[in-house]
Amino acid sequence: MVKFIQKTDLLAWLEDLMKERTLVAPAREEGVTRFRPVNKASDVVMDSGSTDLSAKDWFFPPSEVLFTVSKADGKAVITPTTLAREAVLFGLHPCDAQGIALMDLPFLAEPTDTIYAEKREKTTLVGLACRQACQECFCASFGSGPFDKSYLDILLIESGEGYIVQPVTEKGQKLLTPAKVTESNIATPQPPAVNSLPIEGLVEIAPKIFNDAYWNRVADRCIHCNMCADVCPACYCFDIRDYTGKGGVVERVRTWESCQAAGFTKIAGGYTPRPTKGARLRQRFYHKFLYMPKQLGKIGCTGCGRCVRVCPVNIDIREIITTMQKSGAKIGAGSS
Amino acid sequence: MAPVRPNPFIPFTARLKDSIELTPDVKLLRLELEDEAVRNSLKYQPGQFAFVSAFGVGESPFGITSVAYQKDGMEFAIRRVGTVTNALHELEPGAIVGVRGPFGNYFPMEEYKGKNIVIIGGGIGMAPLRPVIRTILDNRQHYSQLTTIIGARSPSDLVFVNEYESWSALPNTKLELTVDRGDANWKGRVALIPAVVKELQLSPDNTVAIICGPPIMIRFVLVELKALGFAPQQIVTTLEAKMKCGLGKCARCNVGEKYICQDGPVFRLDQISTFLEQF
Amino acid sequence: MDSVQIIKDKARELLASKKVECVMGFERATDGKTARPLFAYTPEDTERFIYDQTCVHNLAKFLLNWKDKTTAIVAKPCDVRSINMLIQEQQIKREKIYIIGVVCSGMAECSWNKVGPAQERCTTCPQHNPPIYDFLVGELVAEKEPATSINPKVAELQAKPPAERRAFWNEQFSHCIRCYACRQACPGCYCTECFVDQLDPQWVGIRHSLADNHMWNTVRAFHLAGRCIQCGECQRVCPVNIPLMLVNDELTKEVGDKFAFHPGMDAATVPPFATFKKDEHLGIG
Repeated sequence: MVKFIQKTDLLAWLEDLMKERTLVAPAREEGVTRFRPVNKASDVVMDSGSTDLSAKDWFFPPSEVLFTVSKADGKAVITPTTLAREAVLFGLHPCDAQGIALMDLPFLAEPTDTIYAEKREKTTLVGLACRQACQECFCASFGSGPFDKSYLDILLIESGEGYIVQPVTEKGQKLLTPAKVTESNIATPQPPAVNSLPIEGLVEIAPKIFNDAYWNRVADRCIHCNMCADVCPACYCFDIRDYTGKGGVVERVRTWESCQAAGFTKIAGGYTPRPTKGARLRQRFYHKFLYMPKQLGKIGCTGCGRCVRVCPVNIDIREIITTMQKSGAKIGAGSS
Repeated sequence: MAPVRPNPFIPFTARLKDSIELTPDVKLLRLELEDEAVRNSLKYQPGQFAFVSAFGVGESPFGITSVAYQKDGMEFAIRRVGTVTNALHELEPGAIVGVRGPFGNYFPMEEYKGKNIVIIGGGIGMAPLRPVIRTILDNRQHYSQLTTIIGARSPSDLVFVNEYESWSALPNTKLELTVDRGDANWKGRVALIPAVVKELQLSPDNTVAIICGPPIMIRFVLVELKALGFAPQQIVTTLEAKMKCGLGKCARCNVGEKYICQDGPVFRLDQISTFLEQF
Repeated sequence: MDSVQIIKDKARELLASKKVECVMGFERATDGKTARPLFAYTPEDTERFIYDQTCVHNLAKFLLNWKDKTTAIVAKPCDVRSINMLIQEQQIKREKIYIIGVVCSGMAECSWNKVGPAQERCTTCPQHNPPIYDFLVGELVAEKEPATSINPKVAELQAKPPAERRAFWNEQFSHCIRCYACRQACPGCYCTECFVDQLDPQWVGIRHSLADNHMWNTVRAFHLAGRCIQCGECQRVCPVNIPLMLVNDELTKEVGDKFAFHPGMDAATVPPFATFKKDEHLGIG
């Protein structure tokens, strides 16, 4: 016997949740699926497979105000941004949950990003298992899988006319209270097979091939469009700038910015530590495969495959991983 | 330890007390934190940096050039190079700015006790080295020979000139000045800093060399120090990088897995030589 | 002989004789269906070349990274127009480029793992012959005088009342995530500091607000007016499917109508907004 909810009851539950909470779910705009606050449960897209933009958008949006500064009586009044309502992040796949867990590592580390932390605390994660794997995803490489419950509060598995409900945490259990969940003897489906790439040893191999011409060769065709970083659930580099709005109110705004941007490391005075395309391209992969494991303990990739789908010049992270592994083997065998 | 703020992106507010011209493009800004409790409890060490905000224009990191125990405020020596520094230069005393910090590691002054210290600063690179000199002079008996080499492009680019006398007055304390090119009134040495290092034939015996300045100057000074027999562990520098958050999060200032805002900016040469990327 | 073999042979010859240091062309992408740019440095590399209707990329942009080296480039007519534009703007030198011009009958709508029908822009493109070339792949076809592609959707949109058009663009630009992929993909966007990154003055706010998104997209389009050669790369790379070509095509049509100017047909004619003629059209606006 498993917990089960009919599709119509699921939608009713989401409508109910929206009374007190913001429902953030995959929605379709111009054919593009991204996580957005929705107004109606019927706007939620449940058939998209992997969304085009990732679920990180809720916790780490493309642009957000950190605080405002207004002048009153000769004094500067600083007002931090807070989250007004609780939220439900619905419909994320296990790879997205892995991505959120990866983003927690830098953002929640001391000194904690309190804006991010507040959103995490006030948001319940309701995940959707993958009934089909994408050709390009490889989440199994990182110990995850299509039915992986890690980091979720609830996991739903589509089955028959509804969803098998697997509450994972107390937070999730609490959210389910008004939902019409029944007991059912419907069989839990088999998870689909997912690709897996060998990722052991990348941390050891990476320093050895740091200066290899390979990175320049791949970077030949990179146009540094930032798309890989934008769609990636685990890319979290950002920019902070001030913006003066109407009435002289200053907003300090955080926006996405990736290491691929030419000015990312440019210092006042003009010196750029990473002047070449190869150095910038290499930085993204090394951050994920070497620096994050050394600094934060985990590889910064979830195997979701979005970057593979979206790169206009087909720089394929799977190819990068495979090449790194091959070169590691070569080095070990003594050839140059 | 700075008092805990709820949101690490939010700066303390401070008032500009004085804005003093040091050179045609460098000003010394003396700030007073508005909150008295913060003012009394904020501690920082030589080598640490803080972000100064010109609200509405932006925020930039600067080495703190004062010592925490001085009573007249927090000082930053700021060179006018871009939008934020331009805005800071334009401020009048009384203006409100933001201060966020202190961040980063610091020069281990305790470890340097009993040693000879060589300080080599080029141009605005003197800013983070000034609190090192102050600390040594205020605790003179704990340190051995102090030799400071200060260089600049031209005589008008020398910073902190009013303090040079106090930096050479005490026994065992030498100050060597040099400029890349002199002017009509300059009667001192005209030479590049690496040449001065060579000329002085500095001994590496029980010595720590602390360097800060333009990358090219550091590179050639290192050549001279190596020739004189300095080991990498004896050479210390402070690295500069583009920084935005100062919290080890925006991943902009990383050199490998090290963040200059958290693991630096102070690094020994033997640490830097392990970096894959050379900044 | 088919185009692919012709290209391979030519590329091999150019590299073996060291006439060029690199040949930019296409190879199969990892999905097994679409294409990706290939930089061939050795005769052996040339074995990987392909050429078919999946070769949608405009490789001309990469020439900007190779200014001091001699390069060969496999170029469709639209790509050659980019090359002309870049030569005219003194960004690259004609003598440094060996153009392998391909007669084109249209490219397919490609995205990951999907090769679709003909691209919309190709269905209205009047130019099948590359305007200039050092080596021709395919047979030249009879063509009318130089003309730009007229996008029928532009006239449709222009016929709508302003309020409706405003609502349309508000909706579209509200999706913009300011990733600047459009700029990165565009051969006409090569400023070392883009106006949108400038802080002093700050032309466009950093927030992703509707007003700022409008500013970004509109000003970029205006910077391309009279220069856009309608390769469609900006629209292809946009992650949120904004119909960017509608903006660019409208301005291209306006420039064509008012100045009888078609960008990229040769490397000598200066575009209208880069020059001033006493007898030029004064009745604008």
